[in-house]
Amino acid sequence: MAVHTGRGVAAIEYPTGMNQNGDPSQAWIKVKPDGRVDVFAGTSDIGNGSKTIQSQIVAETLGVPYDWITYDNSNTDSSPVCTGTFASRATFVAGMAVKKAAERVREKVLEIAGKELEIDPSDLEILDGEVVAKGAPQKKISVGDVAAAATWTYGELITGTGAQLKPYAAIVDPETGRVDLPPHSAISYAACAAEDEVDDETGVVTVTRLVQCFDVGRAINPTLVEGQIEGGAVQGLGLGVLENCYPYYPSVEHRGGQFGSYLAPGMEDLPTLDTVLIENPSADGPYGAKGIGEMANNPQPPAIAAAVYDAVGVWVTELPITPERVLRALKAKAEPRREGKVVAFDDELSVNTVGTGLRFEVPA
Amino acid sequence: MKLTVNGIEREIESPPLTPLLFVLREELEVTSPKAGCQQGGCGACTVLVDGDPRRSCLTAVAAVAGAEITTAEGIGAPEELAPVQQAFTHHYAAQCGFCTAGMLVAAHAYVEGGGTDDRHAISEALAGHVCRCTGYVKIIDAVAAAARGDSFDLAVTAEGQYTTMQSGGGS
Amino acid sequence: MKAVGARLPRYDGVAHVTGRTVFVDDVRIPGTLWVKALRSPAHHADVKGLDVRKAESAKGVHAVITWKDVPLLEYGHLSALGIPADEPLLAKDDVRYKGQPIALVAAEDEETALEAVEAIELDLEEKPALFDVRKAFDADAPRVHHWGNWYPHFEAEMDRRQIRKGDVDRAFDEADAIVQGVYRPAAIEHVPLETQVCQVVPEPNGRLTIYSCTQALYFSLGVVAAHLQVPLNKLKLVGGTVGGGFGGKVDTATETMCSLLALKSGRPVKWRWTREEEFLCSSTRAPWHMEIADAVSKDGWILGRKMLTLHDSGGYARFSPYGLTKHSFHHTGAYTIPNLSFDGYVVFTNRVPTTAMRGFGVTSVSFATETHMSRIADVLGLDPFEVRLRNANRIGDTSPNGVVYTDPSTVPTIQAIAEHLGHELSADYRTMTNAKREGELLPEHLVAQLGNPEDH
Repeated sequence: MAVHTGRGVAAIEYPTGMNQNGDPSQAWIKVKPDGRVDVFAGTSDIGNGSKTIQSQIVAETLGVPYDWITYDNSNTDSSPVCTGTFASRATFVAGMAVKKAAERVREKVLEIAGKELEIDPSDLEILDGEVVAKGAPQKKISVGDVAAAATWTYGELITGTGAQLKPYAAIVDPETGRVDLPPHSAISYAACAAEDEVDDETGVVTVTRLVQCFDVGRAINPTLVEGQIEGGAVQGLGLGVLENCYPYYPSVEHRGGQFGSYLAPGMEDLPTLDTVLIENPSADGPYGAKGIGEMANNPQPPAIAAAVYDAVGVWVTELPITPERVLRALKAKAEPRREGKVVAFDDELSVNTVGTGLRFEVPA
Repeated sequence: MKLTVNGIEREIESPPLTPLLFVLREELEVTSPKAGCQQGGCGACTVLVDGDPRRSCLTAVAAVAGAEITTAEGIGAPEELAPVQQAFTHHYAAQCGFCTAGMLVAAHAYVEGGGTDDRHAISEALAGHVCRCTGYVKIIDAVAAAARGDSFDLAVTAEGQYTTMQSGGGS
Repeated sequence: MKAVGARLPRYDGVAHVTGRTVFVDDVRIPGTLWVKALRSPAHHADVKGLDVRKAESAKGVHAVITWKDVPLLEYGHLSALGIPADEPLLAKDDVRYKGQPIALVAAEDEETALEAVEAIELDLEEKPALFDVRKAFDADAPRVHHWGNWYPHFEAEMDRRQIRKGDVDRAFDEADAIVQGVYRPAAIEHVPLETQVCQVVPEPNGRLTIYSCTQALYFSLGVVAAHLQVPLNKLKLVGGTVGGGFGGKVDTATETMCSLLALKSGRPVKWRWTREEEFLCSSTRAPWHMEIADAVSKDGWILGRKMLTLHDSGGYARFSPYGLTKHSFHHTGAYTIPNLSFDGYVVFTNRVPTTAMRGFGVTSVSFATETHMSRIADVLGLDPFEVRLRNANRIGDTSPNGVVYTDPSTVPTIQAIAEHLGHELSADYRTMTNAKREGELLPEHLVAQLGNPEDH
């Protein structure tokens, strides 16, 4: 009749981009006569903040203030292809498309500025919306004036297009699964420790603290990265201890059809979060960025399962780790089957026990 | 029947049992309160009725005849954001934004009602508001900041107090 | 001022906090009709009769659609990846999950639409249903899919995703211990605050404007165009601002049907799912069944892994073969295991089809491999941080399917949390890096798997 504390850890990795690649994103940019920048990309913002991140990438690449950027992802008539907002690709893959488009615009701006200033474009740089001669900052022209010159002197529209596509990585041998190219744009990494309290009378698992470390390559916007990590932590907690579409899985009975009967995490479920962000840049992502969106909810469930074992000595490997499952496990006090060098847990869950048509044979 | 919505008196034509949510959204075209569940379980439909947060999806419009209804649009405008709106912006308390209107009016009522920056008190006041994107951390940060009367630089977002940046980490 | 690395405010942040952000359901088009669906009440049944005439002729009803109204009834959303079509947009000969859409009604208001749905005559002959993936292979299992109970169209028409590397028999032979476990994470719901919603407007020039909550404008554009058999410029998808998705708004679950209703009625239509529909009928994260057997040495090396995965796809394939493939590529987690035998099956059951959700394919394998790793540490009496650090990916190590790791961060992320927790690692482990293996970190069994990071 006590509350026990425990801790468990997990270390994970997660790919950026669609598995096996082949997922294009494209963007195009035009510059208004006063230098303001219109970006057209097809990436849906599902809350992850892709509009913000891609605008920041354009601002950085072009050398203009963030609030000069207008971002339009609103429809398929004006926006080019973006495969979609999934596979943690919005910052890397779609971000590279806008970066490339911005680079083309930058070249054009420098070309026209070069004509106006009578300086070679390679001796110019763009800082805070001004094209400035390197080493001679008194020689400058605003990006706005460059755009005006384009419009009314040279008869040009300053645009840039960009497309990002990593070639499809085919499975060259279906028997082994070998591929001919890396089937991802980058890999992100994370580790997580979960601390919990388990009440051995009620079976309730309370996750009290999550200590996490994420390598995101480069945090284009650290606040948005935090938002993904915090949101992901609570979803991971939900997957670990609360949520289940089929509470009696594999049965489909008694599904929860309302917020009261489907246990989506609420504010009261929030543990203490302690997160360290490290930046180990990707080789060819925008400014070294890697994906973060999905990985954020992966490390918590196994860390929690290990924390439950640490607290009360039972392994619950069916998620969510409900009070009922904890109590049943405490009652059963199951030990793994030990035969020779085999230490086998969960025999009762195996296909070997439940089914008759498929066997999981372990080399002796 | 009459209803004052965000300071403007409106004549309501919808039948008396129409949920306030749909009177606002469909008849008056005030679309910030959302139809998140229509069961009172998510909080996305929350509006203030004479200053108190109420689930507009479960409130028949006749029950609030003559009341002052306040929604997110009425708390402050882009040119002049209310403290909670500034706090939500500066602390990045909104990601997809769908739960935000309901969360915000409840937070506004909490702050206006003298709520403190105690995180447990805030959690209790906003219990029943579901957010799937943020993990709630920055929502609580924002409400605490507004309760404290912080002033906000809207040109940047706040550093999360639970995250530290460390550079490097590779070979 | 630098933009990258700066804590700039959200692009649409002010609109969010003033309630002005426009989501699909906030778009107002005069004359919009309400849509409601007839959904299967049975888990598994043959459709013996479907008569919509009473619904069609009801007052206030402007259009009813069934499978007959769909120009291309079955379109494989990932057919570009070689996954053939298997799912009718609207049920035709049979229904394979409770909640499967059979017919849709567009009417003047919600009540009229609901009454019209009630008036549709549906005759179903129920069949035995299959819910347990472990029993899908039994000789007497109910047959739930026309392809059989598991997906048979991987490359070379293999019926499973297979990974083989090194010599797993030898690894098990040489092991000091073989640790086995079974891991079963549940199906969970995406629970976006915005439920599935779509509004379609027929334009005077014959185009359709589709206000969509999709996470993937062009992907959904392609799906609708394929079902309707029209070129891409006949449709305009409007959206890009979604009230939460998490992987659940890629299925393009409403856009095609609403388009058909808009075309048939000549009026704008809107379909907004109730929260109950969202919880009970929308696609879910997949339940997974994973069995792992690891051959380990007493000092904590994982010499080899044998693994079986059953991925519960529900009634139709959707993206499951893709998810299982991704899962197989990552089934060693963040560790270098040189001898592997992985078999994975996409198994059909009479459940709502499963789909992508945050971490698709890898969330499950992370749960299995990491819980298993904790068990291994416990069985061997080793520190759980150190056993992970020892096996962690390093530069030059290779993945299950032969990809060379160029700069893995497993070591520093584990060290960072150990330090944060005040968990003291022994000196060797405290100073470890992800540098290419050598010395004690390069035992004989890891030599053959090394690759050259310079080549990548």
